[in-house]
Amino acid sequence: MIRGAALALATLLSACATITTRPPDEAASELTTVPFFPQETYQCGPAALATLLVHSGVAITPEALVPQVYLPGREGSLQVELLAATRRSGRIPFILRGGAEALFEELEAGNPVLVLQNLGRAWLPRWHYAVVVGYQPDTQRVLLRSGTEQRRLERWSRFIASWAHADYWGLVIPRPGEIPASGPADDLAGELAGQEALLEPALVAATWDAALARWPDNLNLLFAAANARRANADTEGAAQLYHTLLMQAPQHMPARNNFADLLVQAGCPVSAERLIAPAQQATPALSPAVAEAVRQTAADIARQRAQVSNDPGHCRALTQDPTLP
Amino acid sequence: MLTSRLLVLLQITAFLVASTVGTAQAAIIGTAEHLADQSRSEQLAQISATLASDTVQQHMLEMGVSPADTLARINALSDAELQQLAQQLDALPAGSGALGVLGALFLVLLVLELIGVTNVFSKL
Repeated sequence: MIRGAALALATLLSACATITTRPPDEAASELTTVPFFPQETYQCGPAALATLLVHSGVAITPEALVPQVYLPGREGSLQVELLAATRRSGRIPFILRGGAEALFEELEAGNPVLVLQNLGRAWLPRWHYAVVVGYQPDTQRVLLRSGTEQRRLERWSRFIASWAHADYWGLVIPRPGEIPASGPADDLAGELAGQEALLEPALVAATWDAALARWPDNLNLLFAAANARRANADTEGAAQLYHTLLMQAPQHMPARNNFADLLVQAGCPVSAERLIAPAQQATPALSPAVAEAVRQTAADIARQRAQVSNDPGHCRALTQDPTLP
Repeated sequence: MLTSRLLVLLQITAFLVASTVGTAQAAIIGTAEHLADQSRSEQLAQISATLASDTVQQHMLEMGVSPADTLARINALSDAELQQLAQQLDALPAGSGALGVLGALFLVLLVLELIGVTNVFSKL
């Protein structure tokens, strides 16, 4: 029976030994300005989150975050609740995409990364949040704000194994109007779009603009930034982006629809009519939701169009005539 | 306890109704809607938003979160996050720290096993 137990243990342990533990050849780094909050019992979640939030310019303490993220029944904090609490503090949480490579990109850009670690094993997990603030290539150690240790030096092999057991989950909280240094445009767009309804319109618009500055030709970002500018009452700025987008992609029917809607709401039905016409012809090929929106926009335009024969002068600033796409 | 739950439920319902009415604007295509349309990714089976809120709210109250905090916490979740919590709250990792409670428990079990008191591992 003892042999049985030993065999079972060996099997279980070896199942976890397949992770590459070779330390990366990265430059030395240490973000010394990242604050430190020693954790109270079980409360590494509030402590680690406060570390990132304060670094991003929010005045907050771990104690204030306890009622926002701590689950007494689980004696811990869930990942999605860290995201939700970030938004309640007026910041945007971004999940790290790309594991160790992305982690080093963030460190190089000066962004600490909140990581979930499994300090136990897959079959006996012990979940822990810590904040990565640096790396020492010569000693092969990761620098962490972790638990009650302000400057924990953790062996790379140990760190990467514990992080791998938590699916390399990491969180970046940029300052307002900034975006993470790592990750592809599409992931960022999906993540921001999924939470923009819960955020301040001005913050959302500034963040889309930052993404657009990095990927100026990305159609999804142009569309998103235009929508966000409009939601933030920046009608001219929105019109400019819809225009840029349609010059690049005249077949972008959602943009055509939203631009036409903007124009008709601004009292420019003649320009709106010209803009929506191709979308109306394309309705059979559009998804039901887009087709329905186009129908509604066209109806709004027709109603206004019946009363005027020319757009008023202020419309010029929105349509940039005569080059309406 | 029952009245406080009822109160939270009412508040959540009021919030959901208010937010649905406020955002209904069929003539504009939202960014999230457009991206979802584009990727046509396989969606997880969704339960209704009301049911998801209700489920998460009950879980949170049972786990010792106060009724007022529960409401604020649920309101800060995106639809996808709410769905995730409603469907897997018990299975999700809850980061708590480097304390070795479970480790100690495991050692006790292992010792009991090795001295022949229990048979937890021999069937593996």
